[in-house]
Amino acid sequence: MGVILLCLLGIFLVWRIDSPRVERFRAQVTDAIVPNFEWAMTPVTGAANLIRNFQSYQRLAEQNRELRSELRQMQAWKEAALQLEQENARLLDLNKVRLDPRLTYITGVVLADSGSPFRQSVLLNVGARDGIMDGWAAMDGIGLVGRISGVGNNTARVILLTDATSRIPAIIQPSGQVAMISGDNTAVPPVEFLESPELVRPGDRVISSGDGGVFPAGLLIGQVAADPGGRLRVRLAADYERLKFLRVLRHHGTEVVTDPGHIIAPVTPHTGTTAEAESPDG
Amino acid sequence: MAELTNARLWMMRFSFVGLSAAVIFFYLLPLQTAPRSWAGPDMIIALAFAWALRRPEYVPVLSVAVVMLLADLMLQRPPGLLALLVVLGVENLKSRALGLREAPFLAEWSVVALVLIAITLMNRLILGILVVQQAPLGLSILQTVVTLMFYPVVVLLSRFVLGVRKAAPGDARAMGRNI
Repeated sequence: MGVILLCLLGIFLVWRIDSPRVERFRAQVTDAIVPNFEWAMTPVTGAANLIRNFQSYQRLAEQNRELRSELRQMQAWKEAALQLEQENARLLDLNKVRLDPRLTYITGVVLADSGSPFRQSVLLNVGARDGIMDGWAAMDGIGLVGRISGVGNNTARVILLTDATSRIPAIIQPSGQVAMISGDNTAVPPVEFLESPELVRPGDRVISSGDGGVFPAGLLIGQVAADPGGRLRVRLAADYERLKFLRVLRHHGTEVVTDPGHIIAPVTPHTGTTAEAESPDG
Repeated sequence: MAELTNARLWMMRFSFVGLSAAVIFFYLLPLQTAPRSWAGPDMIIALAFAWALRRPEYVPVLSVAVVMLLADLMLQRPPGLLALLVVLGVENLKSRALGLREAPFLAEWSVVALVLIAITLMNRLILGILVVQQAPLGLSILQTVVTLMFYPVVVLLSRFVLGVRKAAPGDARAMGRNI
């Protein structure tokens, strides 16, 4: 009894002192256990979702009508989007813009969630085996979902933007204000450390800024919204209700320009070094 | 007879571990990935408490500790702390089990409430002292209350489905504490 209590206390203290090591151990334990249950988790999750969907089946006719009217609106948008896409492609071509070719991604399936109402994270079925590394960004089709924190061999944990420990540097367009999106366990994380909040309006786009060099820049996070208290929050673009497939973006660090730039001088043919370099040949 | 009870003892010990594993499994299902404003009950703690007051021999210290530590690791809690507190709570309840054997359910429930609230408070206090990021207070309180509300359900289920009932005075010899 005493030994067991001491062990538990020891584990907790070690975790407090040397958190990364114990978190790695946690990732390994999760990695060893959860993939074994995948065969059971998938059908149970499917069944539960089926039951949950049942009530929405009941008002199918009403939903159908709503969807049709939405579809009509969407067709107008689609037309606009196609035109814009073509225009964008033309302009990019004219400008010879080179998009970041290294921003490739690996898609993973959500195996499990955090299992606790206090933490917001999901477990993906891709891990170190697939080259996943800590700190990479995870997106659904549209927006940023979170970052990788904790990689096992076959699994990786994504800390969602809504988790209380999540802090993502962001930039708010079009004003260009830099801010921090810090999760607080609610569906709409607040925007913090804004220099001049009066420049930011509800509806502005929030994208990741990549400050600090650990996170890719330019990923859509969501839109600014003001809560009833007047505090600015982000309505996330990703659909957090149904996280199933997540893209993990490969990120190899933001490149830094270290070269201060030199004076470009005309090439002088008769310097000592070139003479020495050429003498063995001639 | 002795063999039968022995087999049953080990079966119930394993079924505690198995049930806890099932609970963790259901917690981990990715059904709700958006943050929620409510918290479900902590069924493992309720189960451990209910059994500790009925059949202490079904929930030995080691299995409670292992199950809770595993839950801590899997559910992203600070590992070890809640396990430590729950083991202490279960041992405390075991020591009171004899006195509560004749008591009405309400008395048992209030003792369980006391222990559970103490565990929650200690958990928050220790995490606060060590400056660890904590869950929102409202959610912790809610989880404690919901766990307490589910306690009678757990008790009824363990009684009528698994046959875990309080030992009658004559049972002690038959159930064989001394294995």
